[in-house]
Amino acid sequence: MSIELKMAWRNIWRNPRRTLLTIAAIAFASMILVFMLSFQLGCYETMINTSVKISTGHLQIQAKGYLKDKKMRLVIKNPDKVAKFLDTIKGIDTYTFRTNGFCLVSSDKRTYGVVVTGIDPLKEANASSIKSLVRKGSYLKEDDQYTALMGGLLSNNLKVDINDEITILGQGRDGSIAAAVLTIKGIFNSGIDEFDRNVIMMGLKGFQEIFSMGKSVHEAVITADSLGDVSMIKQNIQNNFLTIKGDDSLAVPDWMEIMPGLLQGIQMDLVSGIIMYIILVIVVAFSIFNTFLMAILERTREFGVMMAIGTSPSRITKLVMFESICMTIVGILLGIIIGSLVTLYFQKYGIFIAGTEDILKEYGIPERLYPRLSLISAAAGPFVVFLITFVSSVFPALRIRKLNPVKAMANV
Amino acid sequence: MKKAILIIGILFFAASSHAQMSAETIVKKAFDYWRGEASVSTITMTIHRPDWERVMTIKAWTRGESDSLFVITKPAKDRGNGTLKAGKGMWMYNPKVNRVIKLPPSMMSQSWQGSDFSNNDLAKSDSLIKDYMHTLENTKIHEGKKVYSIKSMPKPEAPVIWGMIKLTIREDNILLSETFFDEDLAPVKIMTAWDIQMAGDRLFPLKWKMQKSDTTTEYTLFVYEKIKFKKSLNKNIFTQTNLKNPGI
Amino acid sequence: MVIILAWRNIWRNPRRTIVILLAVIIGVWSMIFLGALMRGMETQMVKNAISTLTGSIQIHHKDYRNDPVVENSMNNIDKLDKALSTTLDPGIFWTKRVRVNAIASNARHATGVTLVGIEPEKEAKISFIGKAMISGRFLLPEDKNKIIVGKAFIEKFNTKIGNKLILMSQNTQKEIASKAFRIVGIFSAESEAVEKQFVFVPISQALKILKMGDSISEISIMLPRLDITGKNETRAAEKLKAAINDDTFVIETWQQLLPMMKAYLKISGFFLYIWYFVVFVAMGFGIVNTSLMAIFERMREFGLMKALGMRPFQIIKGVVTESFFLLVLGILAGNILGFLSVAVIAKNGIDLSALAAGTQMWGIPRILYPEIWVQDVIVAGLVVLFLGILVSLYPAFKAARVTPTTAMTKN
Repeated sequence: MSIELKMAWRNIWRNPRRTLLTIAAIAFASMILVFMLSFQLGCYETMINTSVKISTGHLQIQAKGYLKDKKMRLVIKNPDKVAKFLDTIKGIDTYTFRTNGFCLVSSDKRTYGVVVTGIDPLKEANASSIKSLVRKGSYLKEDDQYTALMGGLLSNNLKVDINDEITILGQGRDGSIAAAVLTIKGIFNSGIDEFDRNVIMMGLKGFQEIFSMGKSVHEAVITADSLGDVSMIKQNIQNNFLTIKGDDSLAVPDWMEIMPGLLQGIQMDLVSGIIMYIILVIVVAFSIFNTFLMAILERTREFGVMMAIGTSPSRITKLVMFESICMTIVGILLGIIIGSLVTLYFQKYGIFIAGTEDILKEYGIPERLYPRLSLISAAAGPFVVFLITFVSSVFPALRIRKLNPVKAMANV
Repeated sequence: MKKAILIIGILFFAASSHAQMSAETIVKKAFDYWRGEASVSTITMTIHRPDWERVMTIKAWTRGESDSLFVITKPAKDRGNGTLKAGKGMWMYNPKVNRVIKLPPSMMSQSWQGSDFSNNDLAKSDSLIKDYMHTLENTKIHEGKKVYSIKSMPKPEAPVIWGMIKLTIREDNILLSETFFDEDLAPVKIMTAWDIQMAGDRLFPLKWKMQKSDTTTEYTLFVYEKIKFKKSLNKNIFTQTNLKNPGI
Repeated sequence: MVIILAWRNIWRNPRRTIVILLAVIIGVWSMIFLGALMRGMETQMVKNAISTLTGSIQIHHKDYRNDPVVENSMNNIDKLDKALSTTLDPGIFWTKRVRVNAIASNARHATGVTLVGIEPEKEAKISFIGKAMISGRFLLPEDKNKIIVGKAFIEKFNTKIGNKLILMSQNTQKEIASKAFRIVGIFSAESEAVEKQFVFVPISQALKILKMGDSISEISIMLPRLDITGKNETRAAEKLKAAINDDTFVIETWQQLLPMMKAYLKISGFFLYIWYFVVFVAMGFGIVNTSLMAIFERMREFGLMKALGMRPFQIIKGVVTESFFLLVLGILAGNILGFLSVAVIAKNGIDLSALAAGTQMWGIPRILYPEIWVQDVIVAGLVVLFLGILVSLYPAFKAARVTPTTAMTKN
């Protein structure tokens, strides 16, 4: 076995330029795939993290059934117990508690139906991006009770501005009337029209008082350190909190369940990306195929001689296959290394695409996009290159079997 | 011969249309009896759910078929909260924020005060007369009194969500039950009235319950602690100003 | 002279030539094919978005877009009518609509919807709704109380054709107006969200319950052909603006109504050309390799030529010209292959319904029709030609540097 391998290795270096070019083609393709896939996945991660930070968090703890039907009565009765448990979980970046109620909000001029959300100003600033989305006025302070943040579109529609008063009227947890006058402290703009038109945020304590919630809340919103930690955290909560603490009125939906559209959109984009990659790999494979074919044709004489001295065609075929495998592996390794280095560089410093800053800013997406190197992104592309290159080298190799030693040797 | 047939035909026609008008009349009379020309009452409303219960005391004024004012007097923290229905609009008042708010369409299908009545139910209280055609299905005798079972179908263009309503009305014009059906004629909720006593100048059911058809643990119970029927009430009671300051 | 020689040289060793040609052809084909797929996707996305009520151009009251309530309706319709019929070319259709938020309810469900009052015959020519009915029938102008709703809506409300739907909204007198409609047809749309959100009634009915008289919420105009750069639409909008000359009306093109789409298209195009470059480089290695091999095969020949007095520069010229021909042939053949393969798919499109869930959410079309853009073909051709010649300089130099003696004795 090893003599073919040694010969194969020596053979490929007999013609360094050709070998280097072939390796370069494979390395180039691998490198591009590593980088592009890392970039794509990194973009997705950015997209997910950004979307998730605007309101839903990576995962939430809620009462069972709340996801489907946000009834006031479906609450988390003991947020303190939940908080204590969450503090013990590694992988959680931050968490915060929220309450929601569907209310009428009215200004002097207009009345609208909105969702009023009670937030813990300190914790919320870490868990979601809302603080940074406040464009006018200021964010809420911890002890603010009767002040509110409002979406820009809503403030326009109600014809109100900072320091104006609005009235909210809704139903408390026990069915009683919940009503209050709030002063607008800040106006935010998330870029998502639905959000800016239908949401008002106020202090959690104030909300609990107005809506007769006591200490209970509706949602525990959790942000994870990274996207990969989400399922681990979810498992942890399900196994160790929900069952042991005996509170099976709670559920732990993750962002995919809360925002199914996001995941699907990403899947769609991934598919179109994959189409592009496959085309690239086909082109590269073809390049390699060409090269191998020509090389083998060129070495017809050499093979003829080998066959004449008794080498079986299948051994020659094996030899040639080894040659191609060697080149492929070197190329792939090189591609992975360079690709990874380039990716890591941009992972640190980010990529800035001219012309897109405005749109990205609107949506709260950072201007720099970061590729993310992972086992998948580093291995998937090169693996496919390996497969296809392998396959494309088979045909030329098989041609050898058809050689007639005498005729072959007569070749120039 | 021909004349006989004609006469029989006319009589038959008269009889059936009489029966038809009868159903209509029965319903109208029951409705008028219930709403009276005007009334002032004190009601205890209990909203019952599997895991909680809420009790409120409400003072109610009604005038004619469509005007009504409900103001909460107990518990103390909800005291002064009121709902006014006058003309085509519906308003709510909350003393804590001291605001009168007109209810927009998006709130109409929401429940009133968390009960099994929707805001729309209150707003469209005269819908039974305006929007339905009634037929008498049968007449039974119960405790010596005739009880009519009436089927009410919505008029073709009427903006009502129900597919059908069935009423049972006693011959002395007391509404005993009202069942609401969806368009596939499956029952959705049912209102029953009982505990008939003398109230002022007439017999009246003091207890009313609105309940969803598929559960017994969710219902809203109205108990009339006091009710007085009047010939008329001042129009000014049914204004936004009075909503804010109803003198309870 | 050089040209004829170069041409003949190529065909002296057909096998060699074909191998290199194939590389170019595949590379060019992939550029055309991929480009067609991407453009097809883009166009379909825009078409979908536009046909879901947006249209090429829309006219509203200036405050309507921020606050889509009955108060922000357009009066003075005759002025608009006149401007539309005089400025727009025949073949451009438009329609009037009433569009307000409303609550739809039946005995068991209630939800917020967008009530759209349409002129059925005109609307059918403009938006998706005309061809979207899957059950029952479409609206007729004389319908009094008929409504059509989306498939997902029927499922949510658990109702069927023939059943009632009560619609409630606020009219111009600030009163709550409600009316009973009967479901007469069910439509399906590219996304479930659209099916749940929109309900359609004849415009006359909407005007009546909302007491709008003859004011309307919007006018939607559809140009016969989508211009994905938006220039045609902008031009038409400018003409209209001048003709109407009244700034209570705001005229916007789909680009302004769907800024996300505009941004996406820009980024998409940019990435496509970068990808062309990447493909070329991948291809380029192969071409250089095979060209080198070809050159080395012919070393004796070059040595001979040099010995006969040909100057290095001429050899380079010769080799580059050969490459030129190869590239041109390859580009032509690649284009033809590209066109053919696109034509084959273009007939039925590629069915993406397997990924249906994702396409739903983002309005990406379920069937993809590839589209070849002239500019892509030109760019692909130029990239390959230009870079191809650049890349062929290396083997050309190698050929020119050979010394006659070493070449001729090589072997």
